[in-house]
Amino acid sequence: MNAIAQPLKKANRLKTSSLNNKMVNDYWTDVFNAKAEGKLVCWYEGVAINPLMQAADIRWVHGEAWSALLAARNNEQEAQTAAEHRGYMKELCSYARTHIGCGVLAQNRGVEASGSSFSDALGAGKLGERIPAPDMFISAYPYCSTGQQWDEMLFRLFGKKVPIFNISVPWVWGNKPDAIYLGGTEFNEAKQYMVKQLRACTKFIEEQTGKKYNWDSLGEIMSYTKTAGRLRMEAMELCNAKPAPASFFDWTTSLAPVNFIPGGPGIVEYFEKTKAEIVQRIADNEGGIPQEKYRLFWDGIMNWNKIGWLANKFANYDANMVAGRYTHMGFWHEHESIDLNDPLEGMAVNYLVCPINLSAPLMIEQIIKLCKHYEIDGMVLHAARTCRAFSNPQYLIADAVQKRLGLPVAMIEGDMVDESFYKDELVNSRIEAMLESIEARKRVGIAA
Amino acid sequence: MKNYVMGVDFGSTTTKTVILDLKGKMVAACVASKGSISAEGVQVSMDGALAEAGISRKEILRAVSTGYGRRMIDIADQSYTEITCHARGAVALFPQARLVIDIGGQDSKVIAVGGDGLVSQFAMNDRCAAGTGKFLEALARAVQVPLEEMGPMALAATEKLTISNMCATFAETEVISLLAEGQSKPSVLGAVHAAIASRTVGLVARVGMREPAVMTGGVAKNKAAVQFIEQALGAKLLLPPDPQIAGALGAALFALDEVTTPGAGVDEEDQADDTMLIARGCATKPCQKPKEVPLVGPMR
Repeated sequence: MNAIAQPLKKANRLKTSSLNNKMVNDYWTDVFNAKAEGKLVCWYEGVAINPLMQAADIRWVHGEAWSALLAARNNEQEAQTAAEHRGYMKELCSYARTHIGCGVLAQNRGVEASGSSFSDALGAGKLGERIPAPDMFISAYPYCSTGQQWDEMLFRLFGKKVPIFNISVPWVWGNKPDAIYLGGTEFNEAKQYMVKQLRACTKFIEEQTGKKYNWDSLGEIMSYTKTAGRLRMEAMELCNAKPAPASFFDWTTSLAPVNFIPGGPGIVEYFEKTKAEIVQRIADNEGGIPQEKYRLFWDGIMNWNKIGWLANKFANYDANMVAGRYTHMGFWHEHESIDLNDPLEGMAVNYLVCPINLSAPLMIEQIIKLCKHYEIDGMVLHAARTCRAFSNPQYLIADAVQKRLGLPVAMIEGDMVDESFYKDELVNSRIEAMLESIEARKRVGIAA
Repeated sequence: MKNYVMGVDFGSTTTKTVILDLKGKMVAACVASKGSISAEGVQVSMDGALAEAGISRKEILRAVSTGYGRRMIDIADQSYTEITCHARGAVALFPQARLVIDIGGQDSKVIAVGGDGLVSQFAMNDRCAAGTGKFLEALARAVQVPLEEMGPMALAATEKLTISNMCATFAETEVISLLAEGQSKPSVLGAVHAAIASRTVGLVARVGMREPAVMTGGVAKNKAAVQFIEQALGAKLLLPPDPQIAGALGAALFALDEVTTPGAGVDEEDQADDTMLIARGCATKPCQKPKEVPLVGPMR
């Protein structure tokens, strides 16, 4: 027996992505040096509230971003093991488990790192140990109850001494008679509730820094964030071209500048270059994969251990993952709502409509719009084993796109940062079956 | 002369081979069980089918593979997933089918089929083997009953017991606990089959119940499993003469497509007619002579 020879095709990743790596490395290096430079450090999870900290010259550690970085660089195991030794079971959110593990490692710091295999641009040593301990927590987690408990666990881990501020992000039910996306009584009330809490959060920050909150700085930071958000959305929307010049996997690697990298000229320049590369690729008829036969939509959170792997896997199937809920329905995607004279309301809007905080009917309408805009042939639903917040509505989403758009779907299982939940052969069967279904429909003239 | 096509379903626990002539008549089928992803099993299955057909490998014009090991079969010109092939095989046997429930050794799947015979939706079990043939094998060992006897014994259950359908290992622990409590083997096995049925209902719910429903895969040979699933679904299941070979049949039909499409050098009169021969799977026993049964509709 021999394996049937398969020519290997690789994704044609955006060249500008390499600039992102440098920004990420520079950012984390700055965080590692925070204490030496006398800066306060805030740990937080969930939505991108970092502009609030940046305006007060506080450094920040976003739990998921840090966990994703560890996973993308194959350095997550040590932190996850540390959390498991502390008693946190494997079924707990792997972001939380990894971040809590980093907390455990931070507590253990002082023990000389030895036998480390880690060495990269961020320097040698156990990467998980390197984030500075928190001086404060701000909890602002939409929809996911684990998020709040995660902050509580960290609060306890650090001896219940680190001040904590909670922002309660209401879920957008959308079930009132006047409910529409970004509008209606319920949404407007939720928005005002969020604004009130964000304003209170600035008071909390003032208490920690002992300085008056710098609203001018917040406005300036948000001007960069708003521009970066607009450029990113414009670049992604151009990917309705055929072939699509970039893939969902390119957009996942471009999330850092609109998630946790400091708002400044750098993030604007990054997306200007990204958009320029997209425009050039369209002019050159250059796709994000060598041959685009199928156009797919990714529903669900990213599997950070497998970005390159998945990008190449789908390229090898001639399937371009053109868009996704995670990338296209979050991260300052509602940039137009940001008023630079009073940015809190626009920030609240973006926090409220992040990819997991909409009820299924509102969420599905947005997904349907995206599927139509990008002329999608099929949908892959990545059910992250330890993030049921993302997976909960997936059967409804699958049902809706099948019934309303006639799209075949494939559900695959994996995780955000725990590689052990991903099994390649199980994924292959499901994806290949979906592609066979798309192919069969094309043969008999059934368009999606 | 190359006058035959072959479909090989290289599954996790068994390999099934079906050979069709160019008119679409099944001339041989063979099921071999030689352990997990076994090269020997593939060889035995293909050799058994070739011997039963009375032909040599050189007479195979096209071969299509399916199943977990589909990419490992060097004779195959093409491979398709087991989802596509089971649907194709089941619809060839029962053109009216709108749902295919396939429970094999390692996985279980439910496939919705449109009126055009194409796969419209599917759902597969997650990585736990609960609800699959492996689940039954493990629990047959726990109850110390031969696999082929567990179905008939389960039908004699007198008590309605419950065991977990979430994890095969936990289920084994529960089975041992029930036996230790003095519960009868038939009742415990009834609970085992009810767990399979419950798991199957969950998969069916993910694609939506449709009728008529066909059951394929090795577990469809277990009468208790079929009965419990029928009860849980509230619907009768259509059963092929040999449900285990549906995937291989589907693969063989795809191979036939490739040689009967216009320009492939096959005369029109060689197209499939309205009958075919269905062979009984030979398992690890010598293959038996094909049994003639009517085909209930044209093969697509």
